[in-house]
Amino acid sequence: MAAPKRGSMHRIHRLAAIALVAASTAACATMNVSSHVETGLDMTAYRTFDWGPADALPTGDPRLDQDPFFKDQVTGAVEKALAGLGVGLVPAGGKPDLLIHYHAHISQRLDVRAADRQLGYCTGDACSGNVFEYEAGSLVFDVVDARTNKVIWRGWAQDRVEPILENRDVMAKRIQEAVTRIFKQFPRSESP
Amino acid sequence: MSTLPGQPSARPTARLRSLALLCLPILVAGCATLKVNSYLERGADLSRYRTFEWGARDTFSTGDPRLDNNPFFETRVKSQVESGLAARGYSKAATPDIRVHIHASVTQRIDVSGVDGPYAQCEAAECRPFVHDAGTLVVDLVDPATNRVIWRGWAEGTLEGAIDNQRRMEQRIDEAVAKILARLPPRS
Repeated sequence: MAAPKRGSMHRIHRLAAIALVAASTAACATMNVSSHVETGLDMTAYRTFDWGPADALPTGDPRLDQDPFFKDQVTGAVEKALAGLGVGLVPAGGKPDLLIHYHAHISQRLDVRAADRQLGYCTGDACSGNVFEYEAGSLVFDVVDARTNKVIWRGWAQDRVEPILENRDVMAKRIQEAVTRIFKQFPRSESP
Repeated sequence: MSTLPGQPSARPTARLRSLALLCLPILVAGCATLKVNSYLERGADLSRYRTFEWGARDTFSTGDPRLDNNPFFETRVKSQVESGLAARGYSKAATPDIRVHIHASVTQRIDVSGVDGPYAQCEAAECRPFVHDAGTLVVDLVDPATNRVIWRGWAEGTLEGAIDNQRRMEQRIDEAVAKILARLPPRS
């Protein structure tokens, strides 16, 4: 009786591991968020923003170029995130303190399951040679001081995009998460 | 291998491994390798040149959306190049002897041998393919009279974890620029 018990325990562990992987990919543990900042600026001085001229660079993917749904989701999420920071969209005809540009980019990238190995989901030969290709999406925001026309902050998120591009609900959710996490990095006072 | 007094002597491989682990957090800051090289145009005499100014801005993509048109990256590179050239006796002038161009590019590389990987000292069975972002920074010195590149210096190395960390990126830039400019021929 001892042997099958051990086997089932092992199976439970495996199941738990698989569930964990599934959960972590679903909750986008892979989303990578970071930013660069111009140091020594008083960010509290900025109160209003407007959208800068549309990005001329292609996204690298025809599914995203000129996609109004994508654009609406991004602009909506940013307006919400900035409202939370006390920065509002400038009233029509007004002069904004900040201009915001964004750029979305999709490229092919390679991975070697380094994370799987680290977490122990594969060992020995099972880990090796697993080089695979995936589509990585980057969403980059530039925040420009409208007076000096200088970029004072850049924030971005990077994630796998296969599941995002195929499902509008997933896309909306991921954009929301990306924008929220990116603008969490926006400094609110002098010290970044 | 000598050991510190009072410390149990460790096996060399274990020591190497702990060294590699030590390197891991500061991988990009210190332990990562940087390959530096340069070309000098045949017959060019750099000692004739005294003044410099920036050339037209690079319009190529870097290959990484985080670095494209990134003023924080550009400003750091430019200020390091300017101070490095000033330290070598070049001064800025409106009608310069040299125009300076910089170009950065990022490519994903697969490293199978583990040489550039975080565990540079891996033993055969532990060596795994390792994917990383490799960055190249190129500094060109152009003679505006002939519009020819008279000197090109470049540095190549991993940018893993460096773009996502502004401070680390700046350290990486400082190191690369210093090593590139160190290859300029000495002034007579």
